[in-house]
Amino acid sequence: MQTFLNALFTGGSRGAIYALVALGLVLVWRGAGLINFAQMGQAMFSAYVASTLIAQGYNYWIAFFVALIVGAALGAAIDILVIRPLKKKSGTAILGSPSMRDAIPVIASLGILGILQSVAGMIWAGSERGFPAPVSTVALKVGGNTMPFTYFDLFTIGIVILILIATSLFLARTSVGLAMRASALNSEVARLSGIRTRSIRTLGWVISGAVASVAGLLVTPATNISPNSLDLILIIGFTACVIGGLDSLLGSVIGGFLLGFVIAFISVYDIPEDIFIAIFLILMGIMFFRPQGLFGSEVGRRV
Amino acid sequence: MNTVSPLLSVSGLHVQFGGLTALDSASFNISPHSVVALIGPNGAGKTTAFNAISGFVPISSGEIEFQGKKISWPKTHELAALRISRTLQGVGLFSGLNVCENVMLGADTQKSSNIFTDLIGASGKSEKRLREKAMEVLSSLGVAHLAERLPHELSYPDSKKVALARALISDPLLLMLDEPAAGLDQGDIDELATIINEVKRNCAVFVVEHHVDFVGEISDQVYVLNFGKIIASGTFDAVKEDPEVLTAYLGSSRH
Repeated sequence: MQTFLNALFTGGSRGAIYALVALGLVLVWRGAGLINFAQMGQAMFSAYVASTLIAQGYNYWIAFFVALIVGAALGAAIDILVIRPLKKKSGTAILGSPSMRDAIPVIASLGILGILQSVAGMIWAGSERGFPAPVSTVALKVGGNTMPFTYFDLFTIGIVILILIATSLFLARTSVGLAMRASALNSEVARLSGIRTRSIRTLGWVISGAVASVAGLLVTPATNISPNSLDLILIIGFTACVIGGLDSLLGSVIGGFLLGFVIAFISVYDIPEDIFIAIFLILMGIMFFRPQGLFGSEVGRRV
Repeated sequence: MNTVSPLLSVSGLHVQFGGLTALDSASFNISPHSVVALIGPNGAGKTTAFNAISGFVPISSGEIEFQGKKISWPKTHELAALRISRTLQGVGLFSGLNVCENVMLGADTQKSSNIFTDLIGASGKSEKRLREKAMEVLSSLGVAHLAERLPHELSYPDSKKVALARALISDPLLLMLDEPAAGLDQGDIDELATIINEVKRNCAVFVVEHHVDFVGEISDQVYVLNFGKIIASGTFDAVKEDPEVLTAYLGSSRH
């Protein structure tokens, strides 16, 4: 029983991080129609910045918010300096096929990931950095019984739920959120209604960058940060949002938690080597029986 | 006949797609409360002219005056503030939103509220007013009963009416309709003609249309495009006798 609960809570806090990564990916996908592989580069970079600040004696929360701003600013910079010009160019260029035009920004995002990793390697000499968690990582004790989770697990899950609620409220209740949804659904009509879709898209990159940075900050106490340390999380987060249905915020979060539980249970009851096999079997199963993902809209948004 | 100063005046509009000249110094004027049709054979540049005015395609040159004032060529998102609205050939309703929400989005939502008032719910009142306005427009087009439906549940003629309602909710000064009669049967077309005659009491209508009889019925003035050039303009009756127009267009496609 203890083992089961242990796996459940480990899965929950790992899943929360995958959910964040997936959420960040969905935010960019809905606005810009591309998977931003640079996202974990942004998160890694901002986690390094946080570790530097904390090492210099700054308060954790100051470092936390500076890191969010770094992640968000990187998001804005990628959109404005790379994606916008690329889209403009490929919009007028004569290319072999439309899918080629869609692929170019995605490949560019892979390139940006590489650049961010190299630059981080140069600045921080490729060394592993870390910082302690803001709350205890020792198992909780209630009435003499050791609980299968730590304060940090609760903290992680709490932050993710908070971010999910805030993002949903923002999209559903505010006019800017409405503009974001409208731009994602039909950018031409949105523009005719007076919405500046370009700025709205950049806002998606900004929010996504901040969300991704939170993910980076939440894993660092457990695993430390190095230029490539978030690659695996990116792959799992990407899988989570495909399982959830790419354009669904809730789907991506559920996909994240689902994979968190699968990974935790396999590492407890089976051998860790099976993790990847299991993840990709789930992914292939979903693609086969429900290609739009668990919560994706049936008709492709981009036609 | 142009005694009133035009609401919209476009001159010397040039649009180039690579080596192809899509529009060659096209000029047109639209008087307030008039219905102006842009007609011409397929590929003549009618929709391109619409897209150029809407900021969907970049122009090589061209000047635009609106309400008697020379303005810089508008970007798409600036049209709403000028009170110019348009429909699209592909209808283009937001698939995840119901009919009423779709219509509400046609109002210039960005100017009336901001993120802070939204979050504390202060804009609830303005949203209520917007919803009432949307219902008003929907019922004037006879589709108020569809308010809660989703776009994929609508018939094609009804979805065109909803798209029209979305264009009308902002009280436009100029309404641009891209092939409003396409895909409609005669009954729907007659209804549309009535609607347009009704609408023109409040705004000018600029329409791209293939359906010649329909154009004859609704339009005060017609511009004929051929190979990107305006080859004739005037009333429908005058234009249809124009020999150049007859060879280019009416002679071949009139039934």
